[in-house]
Formats: sequence, C-alpha cells, structure tokens
Amino acid sequence: MENIENKLREEAKKLLTEKKVDALVGYEEGTLPFQASPCIITEPEEADKLVWNAFCSVNLAKYVHDIIHRHRESQMRVKPEDRTKKIVGIVARGCTTRSIAIHLQEKQYDRDEVVIIGVPCTGYIAKKKLSKAVKGKEVIECTIEGDSVTAVTSEGSIKIPLKEVLSDSCLSCRYNNPVISDLMIGDAAPPMDPEKEYEDVDAFEALSEEERWAYFTKEMDKCIRCYACRNTCPSCYCKQCFVEQNQPRWVGVGVDQTDTQVFQIMRIFHQVGRCVDCGSCIEVCPMGVDLRKFLKKLDKDGFELFTHRAGESLDSPPPLSAYSLTGDKDDFIFEP
Amino acid sequence: METRIIKKENLAGIVKKLSEDMLVYAPVQEEDNVLFKVLEKGMEPLIEFDNAKNAPKNFFFPQTETMMRYLKGERGEELTDVPEEMQEAVLFGVRPCDARSFVLLDNVFNDSKYRDPYYAERREKTTIVSFACVEPPYTTCFCTSVDGHPFSTEGIDISLVDLGDEFLAEFLTPKGESLLVRLGELPKADEASMSKKEALSGEAADKIKSKVPGRSIKPWLDENFEHPFWDTIHQSCLACGTCTYLCPTCHCFDITDEIKKEEGKRIRSWDSCMYWLFTMETSGHNPRPSQKERWRQRLMHKFKYFVDNFDAIACVGCGRCVMYCPVNIDIRKIVQDISKL
Repeated sequence: MENIENKLREEAKKLLTEKKVDALVGYEEGTLPFQASPCIITEPEEADKLVWNAFCSVNLAKYVHDIIHRHRESQMRVKPEDRTKKIVGIVARGCTTRSIAIHLQEKQYDRDEVVIIGVPCTGYIAKKKLSKAVKGKEVIECTIEGDSVTAVTSEGSIKIPLKEVLSDSCLSCRYNNPVISDLMIGDAAPPMDPEKEYEDVDAFEALSEEERWAYFTKEMDKCIRCYACRNTCPSCYCKQCFVEQNQPRWVGVGVDQTDTQVFQIMRIFHQVGRCVDCGSCIEVCPMGVDLRKFLKKLDKDGFELFTHRAGESLDSPPPLSAYSLTGDKDDFIFEP
Repeated sequence: METRIIKKENLAGIVKKLSEDMLVYAPVQEEDNVLFKVLEKGMEPLIEFDNAKNAPKNFFFPQTETMMRYLKGERGEELTDVPEEMQEAVLFGVRPCDARSFVLLDNVFNDSKYRDPYYAERREKTTIVSFACVEPPYTTCFCTSVDGHPFSTEGIDISLVDLGDEFLAEFLTPKGESLLVRLGELPKADEASMSKKEALSGEAADKIKSKVPGRSIKPWLDENFEHPFWDTIHQSCLACGTCTYLCPTCHCFDITDEIKKEEGKRIRSWDSCMYWLFTMETSGHNPRPSQKERWRQRLMHKFKYFVDNFDAIACVGCGRCVMYCPVNIDIRKIVQDISKL
C-alpha cells in the first residue's frame, strides 16, 4: 500500500509538472481517524498529500465530470477558436474507471480530457460497518495492519478482521482493477468474491411482494432528502435533477413519504445499466439507507436481460441507450 | 430551585410513564441510529447514549410544516383548515449543546418583533430535560469554543447529571418544576450531590480537547467577503444537505404551495444553503452561482451574520457536521485555518 502511495505521488507530481493535467483528483488524509477526503490539486508540490489506503471510499469520477463541465461553461463566453480544454487527472480504482467509462460512453467529456491513474483495489472500509463493529461508539483511532483493523474507542481497543468492515460492494467486486487507464500503479490486486454478487438480491427476490414493499418502505422512511446519494453518484449528473424541477413539479419538496419514495425510485431506475456498485451512495448516506439492494437488483436484471455489466468496457454502452437489431432479447417486455 | 435524586434504573420507567399522559420526544435506538422520536408505547427511551444523529430542532421547527390549506370553491379559493392546537410535551434527553440551539433559534423565531406562532407555541408548551455531558460523547465535541459548556443549562428546564448510580435532577425553571408532580415521589438531593456535580462540571470541560477559535475569526470575516481562501474550502463539497439538515442551528426554510386538483396546501420546509436552488431566482440568475459562495454563506451566517444580529455564534459545537459530512469537510479546521490568515 505504501509503495503504491509513493508511486502515486511521484506520478501525480510528474503529470502536474509536465502540465499533462491541469488538475488532479485524489484522496488526502482526513481530519477523522478513519477517513480519507477527496481533494483536487493543481500544483506539483501538493502531490505529497495524496494518500491511497482502505479509507479512500467515495467514487471520484463525479469530480472529474463536474470540473470539466464547470470549465466548459466558463468557456461559453470565449470565442470558439480560443476555447481551451481542461485536462483532469484522477486516481481511479476499478469502480471509478467504470464510472469514467460510462461518462465517456454517454459523451460527457472526451477521452483526452481525462488522465486515468489506475490503482489496484483491495476494498475500502465502510464507515457504517466499522461503527457497527464497535457498537456505535466513536472511533478515536483506527489502523490497518494486513488483514485486520484495530479500532480504538472510549471503551478500549478492538481488533476486527478487515473483511468484516469492508464495504459490501467491495466484497463481491468483479472489477477491483481498473478497466481503463492511462498509467497503472502497482500490480493487479487479487480477485474479490464476485460469485456472491447477487446473494442479497436473490434472498430479497424470494420474499413476498408485501415483504419487499415493507422493506422498501422501512428503508426509505430513514431518508432525510439531503441528496448526498445523488450528489456523490457519478451516474447522477443531470444538470437539473427531476426533484428540483418545478415547471411542472414532479415531486413535492416536503417529507411526505410518497415524495421520498418517488425520489428514490426514480433515482434508482435511472441507474439501469449505469450503476457500477461503487457503494458511494451507501457510504455517504448519513442515515444508513440500504440503497444497494435495489440498485443491485437492476444490475442483475441488466446482466440477465442484456448480458451487460455497467461500464465494464468502452465498447458496451448502457443497454437502455443502445439498440441492436439482433442482440436485444425482447421477450421480457411482454412477459414481465 | 428544586433538586431531586433519581435512581438510574428508575429513569426510563418514569419517562415511559410520562409518555402515557403526554407527548414525549426521546432518543431511541432505531437499527444503527440513535434518533429523537415521539416516544410511543413499547419504545424504550435511551438513558445511556452519546447523542442522537438528528438534531431535536425538528420538534419545534419541523422539516415540513403545513401552514394552511385551501380549496378552490365557487367564490375563489377558500381557506379550509388552520393548524391543530399544539400539545403539552416533554423533550427528554437532549445534550446541553442541542438545548443551547433552541436559545439561538429563539432569536430568529420568537423575537419580540417577529414571532413565529408555530415555533413559539411548541417552544412554550415543551419542557426540556437534558443530560449534562459528564463524559463529553465525542472527540469532535467543541462546545466550549462556541460559548457553550458540557454542563450548560441554557435553554434547559430540567437538567439531569449522572452521578454514577443515580441522577441529580435540577428543576431550573417554573416549567420544569411544574413537571415535578408528575414524576412521583423523589428524594431531595443533598449537599454532597450538589458539590459532586460542581466537581464533575469542571472535569467535563477539561475533557473537551477540540478547540476552535470561534469568536476570534469575526474581524477577519468582517473584512474578507472577497478572499482567495474562499476558493479552497468547497472543492470537495458534494453540495448535499447533510451538514445543514443534521445541524441543530441551521434554520433556513422555503415556502411552497402543493396543489392536487382542487385542494392545495402551503408548506414550509427545511432548505439548505448548500443547494444550488437555494438562491436561484426566477430570472435564471443565481447570486450564489457556485459552491464557493454557498460555503462562504454557511460560514458567514454562523460566525458573522448571526453574531452581528444577535451577538451569538450560530454553532453549538455538537460536531454532527464534522462526523457525518460524507467527504469530511471539517468546520473546525476551516475556522482554525481562517484564524491563521
């Protein structure tokens, strides 16, 4: 891990010094003992603050999208022939590169606007699982050594197997190594356990309709409509989300149960073939809403109906934005 | 002031008994979260917990509030409903920081000039029972830096202090004392308990290690509406509303009409300065066009505008925004960084 971090800083410094990127998105050490915070650097000397460890959680692809789009907007007042591109570098694990692939497929920016520093990934620690492992106490210190995590709380120190606190998305990750990159750091990471990918969904599918609806309702009742899930999601890049449109208004602004459900259902359904299961929405949710079960169900459908896995390569566009005369299995349209 | 002793094992029972006769809001365990909720039959109020994830402001200033309803009739729109009468209530188990937030919010909603009838009535009818922070629950607590104290009694009617096997209950206000009759027979507290409390209070303040120069950045804020520093803090901000929605003092709201066919209602709901829509004007112009201006507003509102208007910092140091910010933007660090400029 340390080697990767050193190499990462070196490469980042080089890219910034040689002006191959105008900005670089990575992670820096946070102020809390179990958090790495996203950061955007523009100067070579800032590269030394980059970190790479199991606390690096949120998907950074969203920042690339936003930086490029803000820049493009600022270029609107510039004569077309004088317009510049802003090249953004990004520290990207497997899921992040899949999000970038989706951005590229959906023509959000050009391939030459992003420089991908690929990093192998062995999973990140899910804050909520860590908190649960220490019975909700505040983690005052947290260190990782090999396969175990030592968390210190006011009640003492606990050693927890790393696997127990890794994000569920990571445990069954199929693409923990970058699917596209401009340069790679470190050796490929060993595979995770993708065979168990849909275990949760299978169990959920086996429930009755009433039970499923009850679970959905219970989870959505936790939502406070802060929109952290949407805002961190690389695939949620609409300039104006439908929840904020008011001519006409699609969803009420209050905490009416149905409004919250509509927001979540619509967001989830917009992810068909576009959710890379990076787990960021779950990670950032302050209330611990289980969004993954529903997103993963759509992911499963995407695979079973279209043999498609979101962002797995630049050549497989999201099924709902592609049409193939021979490839579509359309039976399901008539037999839901 | 009346003082009583409550045995630790009896407290939850007393609260539950109270909830049979009146509305009680209390911290409860809901899956992995500790949340303030209306205590209903079968629910267990927490006696030992750190702090609730949601700030208790919701009980006075709900996330959504219907202010009036209307119906389209033959002679135009007719008002059909006025808000229900508020009930007597007890808000149990707040931390002193959260209790102070009500005193701060009173400046806005229950001022001699502007009185918000919904907020004011709920405030008047609610008795606030707090747990003093004998052990400040988090390392991110910084109440002492923003004019607070782990044993502060501001905004509190009944203060409970954990003395080990029992609680010292101080009935600080007439409203608090009037609840005394509903609590059953309780022994009076002796001198020893009172002096023990004094000792614990001093120790508790020393345990708060997180220090922030909350007051001293004001002169800088006064002078530096435009400054390169404002370009640095918002870069990683997701523009979500976690910090403002969990904050006990954030109180910005929006008023909208929701209409279904012939019926409509006017609702007031929480808004957040972190949202781009917050200052979006009908013309399409947005005076706070980017997250930079929105973050500046959040900082300025808490550490300058509120101080200008009410001589108080609009932050109680509970640390929720620090702990739950998805990308770890730490307001303590921002204030510290400003103080070094």
